[in-house]
Amino acid sequence: MFEYNDNLKKNIVAYNGPLTINLISLMANHLKEIIPFEQGLRKKVFRVFIELTQNVSYYSALVSESPKAEQPKRGIGWYTLDDYDEYLLFKTGNLIFKEHGPILIKNTDEINKLSDEDLRMLKRKTRSQAAVRDIGAHIGLIQTGIISGNPIEVNISEVDDKHSFFEIAVKINKTNSTI
Amino acid sequence: MKNLVLNSEPDTPYYPEVVFNAETGICEISGESYMEEAYKFYAPLIDWLKEFVANSSHELTINFKLIYFNTSSSRLLVDFLETLRKIKEDGRNVTVNWYYDPEDPDVKDEVEDFEIESGMEINLKEK
Repeated sequence: MFEYNDNLKKNIVAYNGPLTINLISLMANHLKEIIPFEQGLRKKVFRVFIELTQNVSYYSALVSESPKAEQPKRGIGWYTLDDYDEYLLFKTGNLIFKEHGPILIKNTDEINKLSDEDLRMLKRKTRSQAAVRDIGAHIGLIQTGIISGNPIEVNISEVDDKHSFFEIAVKINKTNSTI
Repeated sequence: MKNLVLNSEPDTPYYPEVVFNAETGICEISGESYMEEAYKFYAPLIDWLKEFVANSSHELTINFKLIYFNTSSSRLLVDFLETLRKIKEDGRNVTVNWYYDPEDPDVKDEVEDFEIESGMEINLKEK
């Protein structure tokens, strides 16, 4: 992942390891400072970054034990942000339980077929069904689709009889990011 | 009844700043909201609203100045707004204002979705 090649020249940031809220916040705010583009694009990157890295933190099947007993376990995974001519590409990867793979594929396929208005409707419906005490609202992928305005690409590869590896890639266009 | 004041700290910018005034009924939530276990943060805010209604006859004005909230927080914000809608339905004068950057359509869309989901009228105001 980190070997020297043409992709490394495009890389703005990359990380592999446990994702805690403090690390996510630190990196997200750092990105706001270092991305050399207009404010609208920086905000979109910040918002996609928070949603997808928190998904890794909450749902990765590979977790890091906290040294403090009262603190929850942290999901382990990686992320990269690369700079291409027309867009920024944000990717995350993490281990998942094998049975979750088909659900993630189905949900992503549904998200990619919907218009912006239909995505908002799905978000409202899904959010209203989430329990208050759930860690997330189960709408992170929908929100990512809305913010990016692009299809979400996912790849799932088999690891062993219980686990798969889940990768997600989202393009954020450099144009039409007016905020 | 006490004011509810939660200051935003530089090392935890994922918690918003909260200033709920028990004397005037003017309440403000500002900053960013993307903490873990959002319900642990928002449940005391909802409890404060219920206690205020039980102990005061003053009207309520809620000023949102949130510039970012993640999807977990949005779930609890809908709950917060539903609580306000019920308080209003019970006869209390409740006003909700949401201040937003007009160049940030994502937040405007979010607030419109909150209004649809919660049934609570929200006044969108440009900053």
